[in-house]
Amino acid sequence: MSLVSFVKVTYKHHDQLKQAIADSLNLIHYHFSSKLENIVIKPNMCYYWDYSTGQTTDPKFVAALIDVLREQISPDINISIVESDASAMKCKYAFKMLGYEELAQNYNVKLVNLSEDKHNTVEARASGQSFRFMIPQTIQNADLKISIPKIKYTMEKIKITCTLKNIFGCNPYPQKFKYHSKLGETIVAINKVMKFDLHIIDGIIVSGIQPRRLGLVMASTDPVAIDTAAAKIAGLNPKTIKYLQLAKKEGLGNTAFIPKGKPLEHFKPQYPKKNLQTKLMSKAYSIAVQTGLSKKLGLE
Amino acid sequence: MEKIRLGLIGLGYIGKIHLKHCQKLKNAKLIAASDLSKKALKIATDAGVKQTFTDYEQLLRNSDVDAVIIALPTHLHTRCAKQAAEAKKHIFLEKPIARNITEAKEIISAARKNNIKLMMGYPLRFNPAFCKVKKRIDDGTLGEIEIANAAYISTGPFMHRAEAHTPLPVPEWWFNKELTGGGVLIDLGSHVINLLRWYFGEIANIKGHFGYRFNLDFEDSATCIAKFGNGTLAVINVGWFSQGYHLKIELHGSVRSFSANHSPSNPISTVIQTLTRGYSKFYEGHLAELQYFVNCLIKDQPPSPSGEDGLKDLEVIEQAYKNQIRLG
Repeated sequence: MSLVSFVKVTYKHHDQLKQAIADSLNLIHYHFSSKLENIVIKPNMCYYWDYSTGQTTDPKFVAALIDVLREQISPDINISIVESDASAMKCKYAFKMLGYEELAQNYNVKLVNLSEDKHNTVEARASGQSFRFMIPQTIQNADLKISIPKIKYTMEKIKITCTLKNIFGCNPYPQKFKYHSKLGETIVAINKVMKFDLHIIDGIIVSGIQPRRLGLVMASTDPVAIDTAAAKIAGLNPKTIKYLQLAKKEGLGNTAFIPKGKPLEHFKPQYPKKNLQTKLMSKAYSIAVQTGLSKKLGLE
Repeated sequence: MEKIRLGLIGLGYIGKIHLKHCQKLKNAKLIAASDLSKKALKIATDAGVKQTFTDYEQLLRNSDVDAVIIALPTHLHTRCAKQAAEAKKHIFLEKPIARNITEAKEIISAARKNNIKLMMGYPLRFNPAFCKVKKRIDDGTLGEIEIANAAYISTGPFMHRAEAHTPLPVPEWWFNKELTGGGVLIDLGSHVINLLRWYFGEIANIKGHFGYRFNLDFEDSATCIAKFGNGTLAVINVGWFSQGYHLKIELHGSVRSFSANHSPSNPISTVIQTLTRGYSKFYEGHLAELQYFVNCLIKDQPPSPSGEDGLKDLEVIEQAYKNQIRLG
């Protein structure tokens, strides 16, 4: 079984964040190789909604991670922060608006829009279906890939998004909306060809039915295990989340995990969970969007 | 005139709202629409608009069109409005009137020269809640208004746009100050300044503090303090930084205080309103302003807010940009 760590951080001062990240790595016995040269960090940037909404990874969290990497590996390590254009978000604006341009300048790291990167096309299969993806060169050339996701509810059938979905965001093809009818399968397929080494959740602010300051840092080398743990914190039964089960079946990781650090139960009650009313509203909205009714009724 | 024949220029976010409302107008019919997007024109055709054009100049050449609704990006207002005036079309022009005072004056001059009516789109002036405020001020029940607080906070252009279930990026022009004329103050601030000018008359002095949360080269928040000629002091807060929507006017008079707000209905009410009325109550000011414009054309009356009002709003905004309060 994989290890998943849970660390509580009360404030988000830089040194406290650094310590929380270092603690989360120690708890899963993670050690960086001294031979690393190129590191890729993939935060979760969501539209133009900044970290305070719980939708986007806090650049201050990434800054703390960069310091941990430089202290534990080498001050000269090459670090690239990557994201790709999405249906409604353009990196050239998101980097600036979400605070990543300032971070890159202050910390001397590279910002890479994967949609503008050179790439190779590869085929991947999941659930018996075949997909073709472009793999960006920056991802291929990295010798350590770190995903820094958020824990978020989604209106989509997949119910919750965390690191597996964040890695799906490395797909350089901007019109990601086209995948949404097979989103679960696509997420699993892309994770099979773009494997990340380390997953550290920025759970300082999480996004449930509303944002909430949870002060949580989680780490694991297993994307399925950490997403399963995140689903539990969000009050969801991982067995009902089909793409997590598919990810396990396709060999991306385990749904069983050994928790380390603060008990998961410490965070679970504080997560802003769906109640019956929001569950019904969410279901009704999802049906309205799928059937096109939402536009006719003025809900969009 | 018996029935006003309208042309709609621009089918972006606000243009599509006007398209819907045009179907509800009395004594008017939308007969033509133009937009660069063929997808958008298809929506107009589906709504029963007979003539559609990708080039608005073709629409302006149509002698059947009496008046046009211009719902284009701000940088296109001057050229389009001048051409419309020269084609003798009455104009309903979305706010802000233009990017700057020079352009606004050109539009007004073209309207005067061609003897056409020019009305600015300021739906808050037609919103029942804010009309009630005006009535309370005018009938004296609040006494003299010493202080007014106005706040208009929303996502601004950074809303998650969706069309046919496909999210769309924010149009590029919104990111270019040269094309918009400014940030949130010219966008949302123009609504509030126009409304307060309607309530209290002209602004004698204004200063502004500007915020740049999103690191862009235009402000995404503004706090202005304005002194009106009648003595009222107003604090105006506008912002594009929130996922929520908040629009509230609060007045403190020598007799009593009064407030009014405007907020979206919950989804269930929106569905009921759409099914029963054909439009959401949230936009009733938008429908009322169009109906008023049509009525002015039929009765041959000058509409208000006029082009001159739009110019005055822009002069106040330019003054606020110049008189910056720096708090470090």
